[in-house]
Parts: sequence; structure tokens; C-alpha cells
Amino acid sequence: MDRARFEALLAAYGADVSRWPEGERAEAAAFVGAHGVELDAARQEAREIDTMLSHALAVPKLDALSARILAAAPKRTEVFDRRALLALAACAIFGVVLGYGGGLLAPAPLEDDSYFAMAFEAPGDEG
Amino acid sequence: MVDPDAELVRNAGAGDARAADALVRRHLPKMVGLARRMLNDGAEAEDVAQEVFLRVWREAPRWKPGAAKFETWMHRVALNLCYDRLRRNREKTDPDAGLYVADNKPMASDLWLARQRETKVHAALANLPERQRAALVLVHFQELSNIAAAEMLEISVEALESLLARGRRALKAALADVAADLIGDADGVSRM
Repeated sequence: MDRARFEALLAAYGADVSRWPEGERAEAAAFVGAHGVELDAARQEAREIDTMLSHALAVPKLDALSARILAAAPKRTEVFDRRALLALAACAIFGVVLGYGGGLLAPAPLEDDSYFAMAFEAPGDEG
Repeated sequence: MVDPDAELVRNAGAGDARAADALVRRHLPKMVGLARRMLNDGAEAEDVAQEVFLRVWREAPRWKPGAAKFETWMHRVALNLCYDRLRRNREKTDPDAGLYVADNKPMASDLWLARQRETKVHAALANLPERQRAALVLVHFQELSNIAAAEMLEISVEALESLLARGRRALKAALADVAADLIGDADGVSRM
């Protein structure tokens, strides 16, 4: 790095080397190490402009704006409702299939209608 | 290139309130700051930031990480919205634009002084040529890389550096009469 490049970087990005392009920081630090005193005036001027700019750093409170913005954000409920409906439909179909299939697979009941006949027998018939 | 916002954007698009909240906390101050420094108007800056996020919510469900980072895309949208407003404001010049509106609420003197200084610097920024202001805002305040800022302004890095240097020089000249106050009483300690 030569002096012209160093001064160009100083004029563009200010005195804080951490704001300089990453690829040139190490060289810049070495250049300052070698020519520190000669660069004092230019660095001081850049530092003063940085300080002026620092007065415009404040950001106002944004709670109300933030709430307004979040109120307009996409809502999960819309997505969830669609999924819930699909899940319910799947459950209903599964239930019907299970009921019908279970009925087919269950063993047929033994037909024993003797108790019907017993119901119509008069109590006195036995004696 | 890994986009640190990709997952948040995807989740916010799917309706995840926490992801939306995290996105707002991460980017809203920067969007308001950018618009405030470009427009020198707090209310307009909030409108711009809100519009940026409305577009974020619209795009989030179909956002696919691509060449540009999400944050860069947001900056581009915010900058374009600022340009639109600046153009509109030029067309209908408001005689009261830029005037400081007195706040009747009592204010601690330190806070009042800080506001005064802030107002002066914002006014000086507002008087810079638009391109110089945009370069300073993107690089100095938004801390975008020189490459990202140059791409956004559609210029080379060399041209960006020239805009930055001219902007800083012009700002110093504009604030010359209050320089002692601004420089003497700030804690802008250099990290160099």
C-alpha cells in the first residue's frame, strides 16, 4: 500500500480501519505502523468527520411501528387451519375404513335363537 | 454464500410469529435509519420502513435464497422507496419541509443538545447530492460492504469511494460553523 491509496481509503471510509475493505485492513495497519506520525493530520481530519457523523446515529423508539408491522405479518392460523382440515378428513376416512374392515374381519356370531323361544314359553309349561 | 436471514424469512413466510418478530427486531432499526438519513423526515422514514416490511411479508412465502442476501434486497427496496419519495417531494415542494418543529414537552438539557446536534447533522446530510448521501448512508451508517453498496448504486467500487470522499468533505464544509460543538462534545472514539 502506498500513501495515495492509504489517503484515498481514509477519505472514503474514515479513520476507523475496521470499516475499511477487509482485504486492505492488514496492509493499512502495517502502513500506519511504518508512517504513523506523517499520517497524523490526515487521520485526525478523518476522525473529526467520523465524530460529526456519530451525532446522526440515534434511532427513535420503534415499538408502535414494530407492532403495526407485525400485525400485517403472515399468520400461521391460515396455514394451520388448512392442515387441520386435511388431518380431520384423513382421520374420518381412516375411521370409516377401520370400521368397515373390522366388521369384515370379525368372526361371524354364532346364531343361537333359543333364548327367543324361551322368552315365549309360558312359565307354567315346565310343571 | 450463507444468508443469515434465510431460515427466518422462510419461517416468517409460513406464519411463524417468532420468526417475523426476530426479522423486525433485526432489520427495522436499520430500515428506519436508512430512510431517516435519506429523507430527513422521521414520519416519512417510518412509512418507508413499514412499506419495506409489507413487501417482505408478501415475498417471504416464496423467497428463495439466491445471489443477493435478503438484507441487501431489503436495503435496495428501502433505497428505491426513498428515491421515489425524494422525486415526489421535489415535484411538490413543501415550503415547510425540513423545518424543525418545536416539541413543547420539557426535555433534559443533554437530550435537547443531542437532538440539536442530530438535527444539524441530518440537515447537512439532507443537503448533500443524492448519490453522495446514498453512498454515505449505505457504507457508513448501514455498514454494508463496499461491494454491496456499489452494486446497489450500480457503480464501481472506485466510483463509490469517490462519492464517499466527496460526501465526507462536503459534510465537513457544511458543518464547519458548528464543528467545535460537534467534535468537542462527542464520544466518537476512533477504533483505529
